Amino acid sequence: METRPWLRTMKARAVVRLMSIFGEPLWIIVNVGSPVFSALALALLYRSAGMANYTGFAILGGVMISFWGNVLWSMASQFNWDKQEGLFEIYLTSPASMTAILIGMSVGGIVGTAPSAAMVAMVGYALFHPPIAADWVAVALTFVVTLVSLYAMGMTLSSLYLAYGREAESLNDSIQEPVSMLSGIYFPSIGQFSPFPFLVQATVSLIPLTLGMDALRRTLFFSQGISSVWPNLAALAVMSLVLLGVASFALKALEEKGRRDGTLTVRIR
Amino acid sequence: MSALRSVAASVWLGIYRDLCWTFPATVLALKTIAPIASAMTVSLIFYLGAATTGSLDPGRLSYVLLGAVLYAHIAAYAYSPTFCIAEGKNLSVFANIYMAPSSSAAYLAGRAVASFLISVCSSLLALVAASYILGATLHVSMPFMVTPLSVTLLLVALAADVPASLGLGYVLGSYSLFASKFEWALPSYISGLLMVFSGAIFPTSVLPWPFAGAANALPFTQFIAAARDAMIYGQLGAYGTSLVLTLLGGISFLLIGLALFTLSERKARKDGVIDRRLA
Repeated sequence: METRPWLRTMKARAVVRLMSIFGEPLWIIVNVGSPVFSALALALLYRSAGMANYTGFAILGGVMISFWGNVLWSMASQFNWDKQEGLFEIYLTSPASMTAILIGMSVGGIVGTAPSAAMVAMVGYALFHPPIAADWVAVALTFVVTLVSLYAMGMTLSSLYLAYGREAESLNDSIQEPVSMLSGIYFPSIGQFSPFPFLVQATVSLIPLTLGMDALRRTLFFSQGISSVWPNLAALAVMSLVLLGVASFALKALEEKGRRDGTLTVRIR
Repeated sequence: MSALRSVAASVWLGIYRDLCWTFPATVLALKTIAPIASAMTVSLIFYLGAATTGSLDPGRLSYVLLGAVLYAHIAAYAYSPTFCIAEGKNLSVFANIYMAPSSSAAYLAGRAVASFLISVCSSLLALVAASYILGATLHVSMPFMVTPLSVTLLLVALAADVPASLGLGYVLGSYSLFASKFEWALPSYISGLLMVFSGAIFPTSVLPWPFAGAANALPFTQFIAAARDAMIYGQLGAYGTSLVLTLLGGISFLLIGLALFTLSERKARKDGVIDRRLA
């Protein structure tokens, strides 16, 4: 594989995404609404339930839900929408690598979502002053590894969603909240404070966001360093690789199936 | 009479459009999963707080659970007029509705009522499912009063909230007439605002002044309070007061919303944006 066209494809897709976000600053305001209000409401719930020291969990959840929303709506659904707009067939007929397009989408999504996520963090911190006891190196590393694995999951979903027609959006709507709950975006869903039985904890640990949120909370609020959270980081790194492989395989398999069935250019079904 | 016929036709259209694109039971299941999960999230946060402080009150847990289900219900159908306009403009349907002899307000009312009916079913299913799952997981018995009277009172409260949500729908719809991008973001703002200001998951007294007073004046807050009086506390007097306040506030919201929508529609026609697809 030649690296130059691959990198140019990735950069081109990332730039399109960034231009679409930063070319319309209203996007940032639009993306902030749901995470900010959810974080505020849940921080107030933490406070009213007698856990004022844990309002940071809600704010961190608001930050990460911005990225999770971006993964679902701007990664998972993207190829499906591209298919409806007639763009997907252009991707396929061009020499551009599909993996490069997916990674470009991810890079653009991460950079584009960062301002909204930062605004959630700033508003939450200004209003609640949650106690923070962070090992910042571990926090930064955990954050990066979590995002990589999360967007790798987005790439896998994006490939799998090609198999769906109009039900893709309903599916997105349906999985957004359950995954948020099970992965413990706003409260610990694994570990000693989890309200779930062991079997459920073991199952939800297969979602990258679960391990990432657990490690982020521990590094950001309980001063735990890399020596404590390395199993999470290692598992997330393995998941990222596996998911990238699955995404690439699924994309090829579904593309081949689409060619045979003649559904690759069917826009709405 | 003609307006009522238009509303009825629109209700049927809305149910067909929202529920019948695949097996209705599948759609209902898909629509129920999200409220179950969001209600469980807030309930589990409350549970963790209560477990940490060693003072778990099942009454408060059911308070949080019921509020979480109901705020999601309001947000689900208050957004309906916005969605109808946005989708209608995109698919060139709304311009035809506007040209038809019946008013577009009647069409939007019908679509909102259809969403309300579907949302009532999914919300009640979500309440039952979330209560059961939480009870089984946390080994807590939810003290809901499930009697014919309490369920009837809950259904009456749900119906009493329709004017308020429809009014909110018209206000949002007025914006959608002019907007051709980002109108899909409105529901997240509305459900977020309701989560904070409707007393859904914590008492409004937690909010600082003057937000607490403003939150109490909202018909949505009174609706959720009435539902709690019916299903948890069994206080008929307080229920009646909240119900009257829900209706009064709701009628005010509806009149304001209708007036705003009529004015907006007139301006949108003058500006030539009723059939505009992209900004």
